[in-house]
Amino acid sequence: MSTATDSPGARLILNIYIGLFVLYLFLPLAVMSAAAFNSFDYPSVTQWRGFTLKWFVALANDQRLLQGLVNSVLVALGVIVVSIPAGLSGALILTRLGQRSGTVLYSVLVSPVLTPGIILGISSLIFWREFGVPGGLFVAVMAQSSFIASYAMLLFLARLQRQDRTLEEAALDLGASHTLVFRRITLPFLAPTAFTAAVVAFLQSFENYNTTVFAIGGEWTLVTEIASRLRFGLSPVINVVGVIFVVLTLLAATTYVLLKGKPKRA
Amino acid sequence: MGSLARAYGRPLALTLTAILVLWILALILVPLGAMVQQSLWWKDSAGDLSLTIDRLYNDIATLQLDAGNATDAAKKAALDAEIATKQGEATALEAQELNPGKQWGLDNFTRMSSLHLYIFVRTILYALMVTALALIVCYPVAYVVALASGPRKAIILTVALIVPYAINELLRVYAWLMILDYRGVINGVLGWFGVVDLDNRGWIPFLENPSAVFLAMIYTYVLFMVFPIVNTLETLDRNQIEAARDLGASTARIHRRVIIPHAKPGIAVGCIMTFMLSAGSYSVPAIMTRGQGGDWFSQLVYRQFFESNNWNMGSAYAVSLLVVCTAFILLMMRFFGVGLRDIAK
Repeated sequence: MSTATDSPGARLILNIYIGLFVLYLFLPLAVMSAAAFNSFDYPSVTQWRGFTLKWFVALANDQRLLQGLVNSVLVALGVIVVSIPAGLSGALILTRLGQRSGTVLYSVLVSPVLTPGIILGISSLIFWREFGVPGGLFVAVMAQSSFIASYAMLLFLARLQRQDRTLEEAALDLGASHTLVFRRITLPFLAPTAFTAAVVAFLQSFENYNTTVFAIGGEWTLVTEIASRLRFGLSPVINVVGVIFVVLTLLAATTYVLLKGKPKRA
Repeated sequence: MGSLARAYGRPLALTLTAILVLWILALILVPLGAMVQQSLWWKDSAGDLSLTIDRLYNDIATLQLDAGNATDAAKKAALDAEIATKQGEATALEAQELNPGKQWGLDNFTRMSSLHLYIFVRTILYALMVTALALIVCYPVAYVVALASGPRKAIILTVALIVPYAINELLRVYAWLMILDYRGVINGVLGWFGVVDLDNRGWIPFLENPSAVFLAMIYTYVLFMVFPIVNTLETLDRNQIEAARDLGASTARIHRRVIIPHAKPGIAVGCIMTFMLSAGSYSVPAIMTRGQGGDWFSQLVYRQFFESNNWNMGSAYAVSLLVVCTAFILLMMRFFGVGLRDIAK
C-alpha cells in the first residue's frame, strides 16, 4: 500500500490509517443503503423490523421525486447547452491572448469556481428578477452554468495546450479558409474533450444543491426535493434513492477500473 | 482582437468573442453587480407609516359620526371638508406605504444584529477549523495515494476515494445524520449494551454539538483537500526522499523539509477549496443540525431571502461572506506563493 521508502512500522501505521479512512468513507453509505431494506417506517438499521422492498415501490409511485428527476435532467441538459460553447470560446480566446490581458481575463473566468455556491445562486436570482424572470428551472440553469462553464473552459484549455498548431497553420497556408480549418481540424481535435466536459457538466449540475436551492424558486430538482424531505420528516424512500446512486456509482467505477486495468497487465 | 482574427478568421473570432462577452456579462459580472447593488439600498421602514394611516382612519370614522349627527348645515359641511382632507392624506400615505422610497447606504451591513454578527464570526472560525482538520486527516491519505507503488494500487485507491464523492452530497450528509441521530446507529448500538436508555430519551445528543457538522463537512469535502495534494506530490522525485533518508534524516524531518515544501501549492489549493466550500455550505448545517444545533451563516442568508423576504439584507449578508472568502483566498495565495493558474488544477 505504502511507499518503499517508509520503515515497516510506519508502513503498518499508514496502512491501518488508510483502512480506517476508507471505512470512514464507506461505512456511512453502507448504513444508509441497509436502511432502505428495513420495513420500519423511520430510516434506521438498529431498529430492524424485517427485510422489505416496499420503499422501492413507494419511490416508483412518488410523483414529486420522479418529476424532480425529470427537472434535474432538463436543467443539466440546459447547463450543457450554455456552458460548453461558453467554455470553448473562453479557452480558444485565452490560448491566443498575450500574457497580461490573458491573466485578467483568466481571473474573471475562473472566479466562479472559487465563489461559494450560494453566492452564485443569489446573484443569478437577483439578476434575472430585474428582467421579470422569477426563480425556476431557467434561473437554475443560468446560475449553475456560471461556474460549470469555468470547469468546461479549464478542460478545453488543458487540451489546447497539447495542440500542435503547425497543423492549422499548414492548412491555412494551403489555402483552407478559417472556418474550414476550425471545422476540420480544431473541432475534431477538441471533440473528445467536449464529450468529457459535457459529462462533467451533467454530473456537476445534477449534483448541485447550494447554488440551485437559491435559484430554483417554486420549482424543484431531484436534489432540492431530497433536501426538503431531509428537513421535514425522514423516510426510507430517500434511502432507496441513495441505494440507486451507490449502485450506479459502483458500476461506473468497476467498469472504469476494469477498462483502465487491462492494458497495464497485458 | 487582431491576433484572434488572424488565428480564427474574422467571423469566427467575432462569434467566439460574442459568446465570451455574453458569458462574462450575463452569468458572472452583472449578476454579481446586481447582488452588490441590492445590498446597498433598503426601503423605508413602513412601521410608523401604517400607524399614522391607522390614526387618520380613526379620525375619519369619528368625524363621519359627528357629521351624521350634526344638525347645523354649515358645521356638517366643515366636517365633510375635514374628512375629505384626511382621506386625501391617508390615500397619499398609503401609496407611499405600497411603494416606499429607496434609501442608499451601507446600513444593511451595519444593521447586522450582534447575534448575527456572532454567528458570522463563528461560521468563519468553524470553517477554518474544518479546513485545518481536513488537512490533518487528508495529508497522510494523499501521501499514501501519491506515492503508492504500482499503478493498479493507485487506481484502486483513487476509485475508492472517488466513489463516495460521486454520490450526492446530500445523501452523504444524510448517511451521517442516520448515524448520529437520537435513535441513530451509535445511540442504537450503545442502547444494546445498556449504555444509554433510548426508551426514556436518554440518548446522547450528537446532533446538538457543532462537531457533528464538522464530521459531516469533512466527510463531504474531503476530496477537495486530497486531490490537489496528491497532484503535487505525484511530481515529487522519490529519490529525494531516499537521499534524505540515506543522509540520516528522521521521518518527521523528511516530511517537514522535503515532502511538505513540495506539496505546498497543493496544500494551498486544498485549503482554499475546503474553506470556501465549508464557509458557504448551506446543505450540511441545514441537514445536520435540523434546527437543534447552532446556525451557520449560510442558513441566516437563506432565511433573509425566503423567510423574512428581505433581499436587501440577505444580499448584504451574501456580500459579507463573499468578501471574507475572497480575502482568505488572496491571503492563502500570497502566503503560499501560488497563482490562480495553480488553483485551477
